[in-house]
Amino acid sequence: MKHISLFKYGLTVLSLLCATLTFAQNAPFTGKVVDENNQPLPGAVVRVKGTETATATDVSGAFRINSTQQAIVITVSFVGYDVAEKSLIANQPLNIQMQPNSKSLSEVVVVGYGTSRKSDLTGAVTNLGTKDLNPGPITNPLQQLSGRAAGVTITQTGSEPGASPSVRIRGITSLIGGNDPLVVVDGVQGNMDLLKQVPPSEIESVDILKDASATAIYGSRGAPGVIIVTTKKNKAGKTSVEYTANASVDVLTRELKELNANQWWEQAQLYNVPASSNHGSSTDWAGLLTQTGSTQNHTVAFGGGADKFSYRASVTGVLQTGTVIHSNYKNYIGRIQATQKALDDRLTLTMNLNSGVNDANFSPASVGRAAFTSNLYNNVYVARPTDPVLNPDGSYYTDPNVFQYINPYAVANTIVNKTHEDNMFGTLRADLQLTKGLTAGWFGSWRRINGNSGNYLPAMSTISTAVDNKGIANINNYHTDEKLNDISLNYKTDFGKHHLDAVAVYEYQIQSYNGNFAQAKGFINDIATYNALQLGDITKVTPGDFSSYKNDRKLVSYIGRINYSYNNRYLLTASFRRDGSSVFGVNHKWGDFPSASLAWRVDQESFMKDQRIFSTLKLRGGYGITGNQQGLYPQGSIPLVGSAPPVFFGGELISNFIASQNANSDLRWETRKQTNLGVDFGLFNDRLLGSVDVYTATTDNLLFNYSVPQPPFPYGSIQANVGSMVNKGLEVTLSYQVIRNNTTSLTLAGNATLLKNKVLNLSGSINGVPLNTNYVPRGGNSYLIEGYPAGVFNIIKHLGKDATNSETVIDQDGNGIIDQGDRSPDRVIAGQATPKYTFGFTPSFSYKNFDASMVWRGSGGNKIYNAIRANLSYFENLGKANVLQSAVPLGLYHSQYGSDLWLEDGSFIRWENLNLGYRIPISNSKYISSVRFSVTGNNLLLITKYTGADPEISTDGNNTTGIDNGIYPRTRTVALGLNVVFK
Amino acid sequence: MKKILTSILIIGLAAQSCTKVNENVYDKYSSKEFYASPQGADVALANVYSQVGGNWNGVGYAGADNGWYDLNSFSSDEQVIPHRRTGDWQLDFAQLYQRQWLPSMGIISNTWNWLYKSVYTANLAVDLLETSKADPAKIAEARVIRAFFYYLLIDDFGNVPFYTDNNITVDKLPQVDRKTVYDFIVKELTENVDKLSETKGGEYYGRFNKWAGYALLAKVYLNAEVYTGTPKWTECLAACNKIAQGGFSLHPGAANPASPLGYQYYELFGDKNPTDETILSMFVTVDIVSRNILTIRSLNGPNFNAVYGFSGWNGSIIPQEFYEKFADNDIRKKQFLIGAQPGGVNYTAEVSSLDDPGAFPDEGVRDTKFVPVLPMNGGGASNDFPIYRYADIMLMQAECNVRLGNAPAAKPFVDAVRQRAGLGALGADPTLIDVYNERGFELNWEGHRRQDMIRFNTFTLAHGFVPAVGDFRKLFPIPTSALNTNTNLKQNPGYN
Repeated sequence: MKHISLFKYGLTVLSLLCATLTFAQNAPFTGKVVDENNQPLPGAVVRVKGTETATATDVSGAFRINSTQQAIVITVSFVGYDVAEKSLIANQPLNIQMQPNSKSLSEVVVVGYGTSRKSDLTGAVTNLGTKDLNPGPITNPLQQLSGRAAGVTITQTGSEPGASPSVRIRGITSLIGGNDPLVVVDGVQGNMDLLKQVPPSEIESVDILKDASATAIYGSRGAPGVIIVTTKKNKAGKTSVEYTANASVDVLTRELKELNANQWWEQAQLYNVPASSNHGSSTDWAGLLTQTGSTQNHTVAFGGGADKFSYRASVTGVLQTGTVIHSNYKNYIGRIQATQKALDDRLTLTMNLNSGVNDANFSPASVGRAAFTSNLYNNVYVARPTDPVLNPDGSYYTDPNVFQYINPYAVANTIVNKTHEDNMFGTLRADLQLTKGLTAGWFGSWRRINGNSGNYLPAMSTISTAVDNKGIANINNYHTDEKLNDISLNYKTDFGKHHLDAVAVYEYQIQSYNGNFAQAKGFINDIATYNALQLGDITKVTPGDFSSYKNDRKLVSYIGRINYSYNNRYLLTASFRRDGSSVFGVNHKWGDFPSASLAWRVDQESFMKDQRIFSTLKLRGGYGITGNQQGLYPQGSIPLVGSAPPVFFGGELISNFIASQNANSDLRWETRKQTNLGVDFGLFNDRLLGSVDVYTATTDNLLFNYSVPQPPFPYGSIQANVGSMVNKGLEVTLSYQVIRNNTTSLTLAGNATLLKNKVLNLSGSINGVPLNTNYVPRGGNSYLIEGYPAGVFNIIKHLGKDATNSETVIDQDGNGIIDQGDRSPDRVIAGQATPKYTFGFTPSFSYKNFDASMVWRGSGGNKIYNAIRANLSYFENLGKANVLQSAVPLGLYHSQYGSDLWLEDGSFIRWENLNLGYRIPISNSKYISSVRFSVTGNNLLLITKYTGADPEISTDGNNTTGIDNGIYPRTRTVALGLNVVFK
Repeated sequence: MKKILTSILIIGLAAQSCTKVNENVYDKYSSKEFYASPQGADVALANVYSQVGGNWNGVGYAGADNGWYDLNSFSSDEQVIPHRRTGDWQLDFAQLYQRQWLPSMGIISNTWNWLYKSVYTANLAVDLLETSKADPAKIAEARVIRAFFYYLLIDDFGNVPFYTDNNITVDKLPQVDRKTVYDFIVKELTENVDKLSETKGGEYYGRFNKWAGYALLAKVYLNAEVYTGTPKWTECLAACNKIAQGGFSLHPGAANPASPLGYQYYELFGDKNPTDETILSMFVTVDIVSRNILTIRSLNGPNFNAVYGFSGWNGSIIPQEFYEKFADNDIRKKQFLIGAQPGGVNYTAEVSSLDDPGAFPDEGVRDTKFVPVLPMNGGGASNDFPIYRYADIMLMQAECNVRLGNAPAAKPFVDAVRQRAGLGALGADPTLIDVYNERGFELNWEGHRRQDMIRFNTFTLAHGFVPAVGDFRKLFPIPTSALNTNTNLKQNPGYN
């Protein structure tokens, strides 16, 4: 009996329990989870706080939870969105709108051959999501990063349509080995031009790998840093159709101020310029060559997905009309991405196809008289304001009394300079789960570029070589084919408090290049431009008028990485890569690139439990070795015989051949050893978030064309690995949420970078032969000198002027001779060409459906050699050219020096971007779920002491770094943006 | 576990097939294979001649700018490029004329680098031809042309690095005194000139045949006293007499409306140098092999444009003092332009300033010795350039005779050259000054003047409006770039 009663009692309890459940079912908590566009978010996880109860939203974003409570608190989480916490009252459905992640330590970061939670990162990586990218009329994804990431300098020199900005991660790492970071777009590895194929509005995230412990996984391509772009994918169970557009008006900002016709004549008389040089017109050359430009950017994107399948497709058009007449750019990109699961979800196949077409009409890049060559636009500053544009008969005016006279308006109107490129890449990734935790992967990518550029200089362009040859036409065809194939094994396991994630990859890359060039001269008219070279004059064929080439490079890599963590507190990442590359000398085909880094999540420690200040605290430290090879061209190490102009021998012209380079079988990659220490912190419940990184990176085996003694070398330089250079830096990123509530948020964010570069050594020996390279001129008085930053200015000091108004300079060594040789004691060190610091300030504000954001950025500590100002300041040129208004007070007639009179402070602060947006939520439309309007202003304000057109000139570390030879005009743009999300 | 092993196996297999990273070359020849072929050895010799043609970047013997020709011409009294008040022309050329050059001057390092690349190329040719057991005449030719480059090196720089094996490393590369290199040159020439072909023109146009070889030997002997302190007038005379056996004569100088400037004399400086007088030529076809800028560089833009259709460079001029030495009836004076010219320019003899503030655009007498021939463009014309011609040899014969105390024997040589130029015979036996002046008239702008001035001890004297300079200027400094890369090199005295 006792048993029975016990049984009965048990049943009662059970029925009571059932009753409770029944009661609960009668009072459900329901709601709907939507994204920032009011689109349902299926698969979002809803948890009841304080319990184990959890559910997921269905296809319509709805969820339902039962509880015995009258009110519960739930948290809703979805990848890529901030966790939302809401109170729910039974029987009162709630619409929960999720906000995409702002910066938080829980994001997923793509780290190369895998992903990592941001909280598990041990290296220096900047992760930027959609919200962190600069909005507006973007033509190149790099513009979206400008000012956003510490240690990442984006330099936009002028606003020529189709011209890409340059990017340097943690400064200049190499002299000729290549400073452009590796770009990885959805697994496709490429050079910077790969970014042209990424539609700016289709970027999901950008991850920038900065330190060696992060980039060492890319081995011999990792030294200049890595930019990983991940494009948007469709979420399973979600359909989306979206249209995004931007249209801007682009206007000129600062221009150089020249003498007008009256002022010119006034000065001309003072300087005894003969009246025959005054042709009596009043021409605004700059006005003639410029116009209001425009930029349009349209993207239609759509996608859908079911349980095992999802896809996303988009078509983008970027249309740009430049501020210099006849320069424009069009870029069309179509892409489709599909993911399919199979074999009971063990196999995931992801395919990506991307095809782009771009057409550019570039403004001629290098025209001018012998004394001054720049891009076309800057020739307007040379032209005399008193010169007419046209002759009375309608032909373009030219002055035979001026050597190599150029009529810039004729050049702009008559030169044809077109480039057309077809870009295509396709990828396939297959991941097969073999057993629990073990995945095998295969990835293949194939990228092709077929380009064609045509150039025609008619005689009427007034350019002297075109006049001499009665027209010059040429066509350049080039083809690039890049294949990559990798096989990987990935193993993940947890045992106890240990977590292990290991990956092993074998990778094979082959990149091949071929092309041809043909040129003809002497045309009887200009009708066919470069489209019919056979119409040229056969007797004008000269060596170099036709050529072709083919070469390729191979890279074979073995890659391994282990991520280990203990108790979620102590993190270790170690990677190793062995690369073999065809472009290096036989003695150094293979190189090893190891790295290791550690992190300690201090906030997870029990002793941190009771403090309220730090919500997050992580210390990181790492060391790694990376290499650099992309800047080296194939066949650089081997002695070769190439063609030379013909030689007259044996009574006739015969083919001639020439040993084209000094051989170097020791040619190898540069090795960059980098140590990074960092701390990530969140204070006051992550209201204040920040990171600080310090690093030191030394490039050894520095590739350069080192000076060798001639004799016995037939050439004065040899490409070799000899010197070393160091970069040291400090990077700080901070963001503070001043206001954070349901309706309003205000975040102040910014970053700052200090950077120190020093050339340690340029000398050494090759095969026991001592080298002595130093004081290498890089153009415009900038030099490579041991012990100084690359591109340091070493310059003669201005003193005044003499009785004939010629410039006088300081004779530093007092020997009565001004020696302008590279190592002359009359030169003094006077600042550096690259900035010492850069910073960005990116506040953002939102109130209900209104949002606003700004980007201010700047850099400083650098000098600019204002070569164009020097060129336009000597009155001896007045008879044949114009000069700047600023030349009048200087009153210099002539100078035989390039003195520090033209060396200026290059610091600046730019108000890069202001964006105001308003989202109109549309709840009652059958077709549209939301509409957002925005207004974006770009380059709204520039604060600088620099007197040139724009202080943002080349700082890429190559020749002519820090020299202003005149740029394509920099524009200020105002854009209207529209984003419509359809149902 | 089996699956893991299988996949590792697959990866291993795949990896095995693609681990080679050898370089493939598709569009060039590997130098090892190329030079091992008989064609390669021939090309190696032809390649040495490709060093002779003048081209941009200071390369070559003559015809283009910023190289050997400019260094050896503008440092003399026969031509100068003034800086112009209109801002044209850098000061290097005026500084050469004023004899104020510094070791860092680009024209000096261009010359040095060109000469040593030429030596390298010649060493390579000698080596390859000997290895492939080529025709002894070709080996001799390569050795002679190498001697030619070393002769130019000691003439400009004195004690110079010396090597004949391209595999030498710089630490084993000695800087040899001028006399030792002189001895080497003499030895190479005396051993090899007789092996050279006697063919004139045709296959040997622009090449060292036997007569060009002797002309070079004669030049070396002519300046032996400058190089070594020991004169070799007799030897020079003997070498010149050898050339006379080659059947050379002075090209006619008579008036002829079809000839450039109306005289047959100027055919010597035309498209092809006539082989009756020319011993060694530099072949030119603009933009294909070399170029000749000497006239376009001289004339003012509108003047050259009006006559030839291209804008002149308004550069090199004849200094007034030099111009005024020419007799008015000398047909060689016809090469100069002064006064009003087509294109509305008016050249004047006087030059107000060479550097600061510079000369006015029309100042200075211009030279059209090389009346431009087609093909031509704004970058020069196609006139061949005479390196050695018989008039030069005849004046050398005259000089040697005078110096050996046999002035009467010198007279016919000088008279022949004068009479061809429309002048009368000398009234008396020639003096050294007569020979020196005649060389100036006959050979102006042909690259001989600096050497002649040094030999006649006039180089450092004041002339025109430039003052006298120290004797050390008789040698150019070793360029800074060479000193920097080879710390064992010793700079010439006076330049430290």
